Amino acid sequence: MKKLVALLSLLLLVGSVPASADTLAEIRARLAASKPADYPTQPIEFVVVYPAGGGMDTTARLLAKYVEKYAGHRVIVVNKTGGAGFIGHTYLATQAKADGYTVGILANGAWTDAMLKAKGKWSHKNFEAVAFVNYAPVTWIASTEGRFKDKTLKDVVATIKSEPGTVKIAVVPSISFEFLAEQVETLAGGKVVKVPFQGGAPGVTALLGGHVDVATGFLSEYRGHLDAGKVKVLAAAAEQRAPDMPQVPTFNETLDAKHLVWSAWRFAAVPRGVPTARKGYLEAVLAAALRDPELQAEYQKTGSIVDNPYANAAAVDAAIEKSATLERQFFTTTGRLPK
Amino acid sequence: MEVLRELATGFGVILTPANLYYCFLGSLVGTLVGVLPGIGPLAALSLLLPFTFTLPPVPSLVMLAAIFYGAMYGGSTTSILVNIPGEAASVVTCLDGHEMAKQGRAGAALGIAAIGSFVAGTVGNLGLTVFSPALVAIALRFGPPEYFAVMILGFVVTLYMIGGSPLKAMVMLATGVFVSVVGMDIVNGAERFTFGSVNLSGGFDLVAVVMGLFGVSEILLNVEALARGEVFSRKIRGLLPTFRDWLDSWAAILRGTAIGFGFGVLPGGGPVTASFLSYAVERRLSRRPERFGHGAIEGVAGPEAANNAAVAGSMIPLLSLGLPSNAVTALLLGALVIHGVQPGPMLMTQHPDIFWGVIASLYVGNVMLLVLNLPLISLWVQLLRIPYRILFPSVLLLTVIGTYSINHNIFDVWVMIGFGLSGYVLRKLGYELAPLVLAMVLGPLLEQTLRQSLIMSTGNPAIFLTRPIAAALVLLAAALVAVLVLRQRRLGLAGADATQHPTEGSP
Repeated sequence: MKKLVALLSLLLLVGSVPASADTLAEIRARLAASKPADYPTQPIEFVVVYPAGGGMDTTARLLAKYVEKYAGHRVIVVNKTGGAGFIGHTYLATQAKADGYTVGILANGAWTDAMLKAKGKWSHKNFEAVAFVNYAPVTWIASTEGRFKDKTLKDVVATIKSEPGTVKIAVVPSISFEFLAEQVETLAGGKVVKVPFQGGAPGVTALLGGHVDVATGFLSEYRGHLDAGKVKVLAAAAEQRAPDMPQVPTFNETLDAKHLVWSAWRFAAVPRGVPTARKGYLEAVLAAALRDPELQAEYQKTGSIVDNPYANAAAVDAAIEKSATLERQFFTTTGRLPK
Repeated sequence: MEVLRELATGFGVILTPANLYYCFLGSLVGTLVGVLPGIGPLAALSLLLPFTFTLPPVPSLVMLAAIFYGAMYGGSTTSILVNIPGEAASVVTCLDGHEMAKQGRAGAALGIAAIGSFVAGTVGNLGLTVFSPALVAIALRFGPPEYFAVMILGFVVTLYMIGGSPLKAMVMLATGVFVSVVGMDIVNGAERFTFGSVNLSGGFDLVAVVMGLFGVSEILLNVEALARGEVFSRKIRGLLPTFRDWLDSWAAILRGTAIGFGFGVLPGGGPVTASFLSYAVERRLSRRPERFGHGAIEGVAGPEAANNAAVAGSMIPLLSLGLPSNAVTALLLGALVIHGVQPGPMLMTQHPDIFWGVIASLYVGNVMLLVLNLPLISLWVQLLRIPYRILFPSVLLLTVIGTYSINHNIFDVWVMIGFGLSGYVLRKLGYELAPLVLAMVLGPLLEQTLRQSLIMSTGNPAIFLTRPIAAALVLLAAALVAVLVLRQRRLGLAGADATQHPTEGSP
């Protein structure tokens, strides 16, 4: 208990002092002081449930590099892939040891899988968050040469209403991309043609080729085409406008709604039951790494937003709970889950 | 010549000691992972990716790309020597490559594979250098209906590839499609044939299946032969292709290059499809198709050229659209993004050093690989001198490690063993396994593009005939089927005639 108190006060201390005021050596010394005697004695594994090279994988590998920098301890990234993340999620929730050596670098898919696929065998409560990493909102883009080249989201929605069944939108099935399109359909009062792709990038290419009218994606998936003036962003499914794209409206403000919020929301979590001292140390190390301006710059380069609105891991858990509840409501109203 | 000046800039970037070193390192690692069965370029790239974080973007990309095409060089080695493909794109190389090894001509097979790869890599790079912008415009015109037509064509061409019964080939194609269906539905996420198993929800992994069908079954067949006391001759005649081999192969290499390059540019196909297609084309064009499957050197030269040219081709959508056409280029894309470089139409103007540096490195790397691989041939053929009781357990161990390393899931090893036993039985029954692998690669793409197209047309199949590119490809596939059916019927009639009228000229 004493250890816990010491740790909490240490966390508060780390949280209140700006990172720039501390030298790397000072942060390292503080982390070393809070390190449990028996942990870590072997490499820590960061489990990524998506394939190497993708957005989640690069997020985890960058994080691993900076955790090593602060903790001075080896971190290995392992890709437990398959079933669009479901195999890895199930492994983390039901098989991985809660000894602090397995840390999942996860995204929203963790709780979506829990609700739609786990069939009650596990839920997002099998995980405990240790850090918020970053996020990127889902956006709609149009080609600057296509059907909606000089149109806004308002115009697109008007077209969906006046000419239902004619607007082709590239989505990825069974994830936020498809859910967002369904919400717009409901609000617009007309159907769209949801063309399924295996990821945002192929949809963007189909948009450039004129095979769809609107593509769904993250900034990282089309930044090159945006810079080249080939595509434009119609709207972002975020709570507020993004600081680096203030001219892009949110779906909520255009459609006068509150629930059109979808993102790649990335966090680190451990299987429930990791000893408090170990979990506390992990939290402190991850917090130190994530405050590193170099890592933040790396994440911004990949199109992610790094501002951390959560004071501690408990707040991250609460945010997950909130998002999961909102998503559950969507699933029950659309009939994906029984009421 | 704007292009030449740009390319010169690229060579200026690459011809520094540090960049040359990373190019060499990538080529070496690529060759090694290509040689090791089951451990492919994907595993090597994901392991080495973190080490490139501290490097500038040019050497990182140069090294990672070199691993990719280096693996295409190395992949043929075990195909030829022990009939176990080093990676999926070298599956067809087994068919004739290993036959050549059995005839003591392993050196010639390895030599033509290396040289074919070199020619294809270099010519493919020329295509990449000169035609990039034009090819991007064409590739963009390929929407789901066009890709569906390409997949159909791929299936039809496979029927031409196999020497034996087309019926058996079709059974294997159907099996391959069925195997690929297991797992999550790609459109609505429903589980198919998973029987509630979490592991099956991910479907069967291609590498696990290939290693089982080819690796494990080959080892079983050899153990059986050993037990019966049959040993194939270990003599080694000549380490380099003969003049005759050159005459037989040069056209196959050039055709393989063209096929590989074209398929590399189109997403989804890549090196695997290109190598199969090249084999089918060579067999079809050959004046003596009966030699195929019995050590025809064109059957090695064409596919090996095709899988290397496909690497060059796949760089086009990657660098100019930011669109990876297979898992390996997806990883390269990740590496670019980590370095803050956004692939896409602006890459050429925003980061000419990277764009042209990588292209120049492809030329340099191919030369390095040729220089590296030709002397290695004499070393590799010595592997044939290793007693089976040591060689095969070692190979089996490597396939297990390689298969486990894909997803870090022991289930994949069981899949490998299961498919190994099935492969053994199927081979005993005279089924060709290569079409199964191709169907497994094409199956999900076929289903996805079909469903995408029908969603786009709200269920109207006319979409495949109203779009010119799709219509042309579908009609070509239909014509090929018609020719095949007619030929079979003629063969069937001739056979029937022969039995009914044994004497020539009798009524």
